[in-house]
Amino acid sequence: MECVVQGIIETQYVEALEILLQGLCGVHRQRLGVHEICLKSGPNLGFVASEVRLLCDIEQAEPTWTVKHVGGAMRGAGAEQISVLVRSMVESKASKNVLRLFYALGYKLDYELLRVGFTFHFHRGAPITVTVSSVNKMLKLHATDEAVPVTPGIQLVEVTAPATSENYNEVVAAVSSFCEYLAPLLHLSKPGASTGVVPTAAAAAASLMSDGGGTTL
Amino acid sequence: MPLKWVLNWQPNAGSTVNSQILNEVSQCVESINGVKEGRWKATLTFYKPMLRDQALAADFPRDFLGISLPEQPNKYYFILRGHKIVLEADSSIQLIMEKLQSYKSRVALNFEGFQYQLGDFQLRVGKVVPTHSENLRGIVMEVEYLPISSLEKSRQVMDEFVDIWQDTVSKRSLPGHFLHIEPNFSDYGLADHYTSQHTAVQYAHVMAQLIASVQAGQAARN
Repeated sequence: MECVVQGIIETQYVEALEILLQGLCGVHRQRLGVHEICLKSGPNLGFVASEVRLLCDIEQAEPTWTVKHVGGAMRGAGAEQISVLVRSMVESKASKNVLRLFYALGYKLDYELLRVGFTFHFHRGAPITVTVSSVNKMLKLHATDEAVPVTPGIQLVEVTAPATSENYNEVVAAVSSFCEYLAPLLHLSKPGASTGVVPTAAAAAASLMSDGGGTTL
Repeated sequence: MPLKWVLNWQPNAGSTVNSQILNEVSQCVESINGVKEGRWKATLTFYKPMLRDQALAADFPRDFLGISLPEQPNKYYFILRGHKIVLEADSSIQLIMEKLQSYKSRVALNFEGFQYQLGDFQLRVGKVVPTHSENLRGIVMEVEYLPISSLEKSRQVMDEFVDIWQDTVSKRSLPGHFLHIEPNFSDYGLADHYTSQHTAVQYAHVMAQLIASVQAGQAARN
């Protein structure tokens, strides 16, 4: 399982967000470059349609592949009340022929994306990952070097943390409290429930840029 | 990692495998001073597609195998022999396959037995049995040569060892012999330097041999 929230930020404020994250996390950012290939089961395969994502980390000298399955969100009155999405998620590293395998099994390409940006990995009540990336689409199949932004001028921010059915309450609390620190720059909510950019972003960014993140927001 | 050959017991025409043969083979290892070290177990699973329309089954692979190997307990291997694909993944890939609900386990077989040390060689002799059953379906043997990782460089020493081994077994006049058919690893994109993916491919080919010999046995009886 994982806990996840998402938000968006204008590209012009990303540098300020990076300064803020650097100050909050006390670690350096890592570059992110992921070619994401989303596959769907062919029309006759499986009693219900299924989806699987193949992530190719193109930042590595030798690209590495991960298979990722994102399952349904936790439901019920309790899940409605919390501001963080808790969903099932399973990942597995795989050798580089994984796309060939899934094609041979009867999966088809649904869409592909290129995410470029940076991540912060740190521990703050739970192991948290913040990903800031521009999402790009390919004009030609697998042509990652000719990718163009899906939403020019806007970047996606995602905060995730692994959880289990035993500890997700604590992880949700850790993620929620971390998100409050970012509130002047962006609003984070459950995926699919984006609330847009925040009006205080310009002022907060200006303040961060002027003192290098020293001010407590 | 050290390279290994995986051999399977090929019963003579009209005969079948039984536990007496397995006992005698184990005694053969001990007779050439193999020192028993402990147990080992690999598990091989056949997957079949879950289809809405069975008439379209021909569009999907029928030879989709998954293998867990004791040498890589945190890994899992998928093999499509027809497509010449071997995939190495984390064990959690099995959970992903379960969640996808597009393929399900049709039958699973355990390869299990004892491991022996013999100088620079490590031998594993084991029975092939369906999980949750004791019906013996075959006998396999792994011959691992610890000092070398190159298939080509080890070929001579492996050939010589297997010749000695075949001589030892043949003295017991058992109704069959061990067979070693090396898959064409380069078809799977595998190089000369041995990896666990080579082992997974060998097991997939041994499995095909076992199925072929069972079918040949059935055809002979009919």
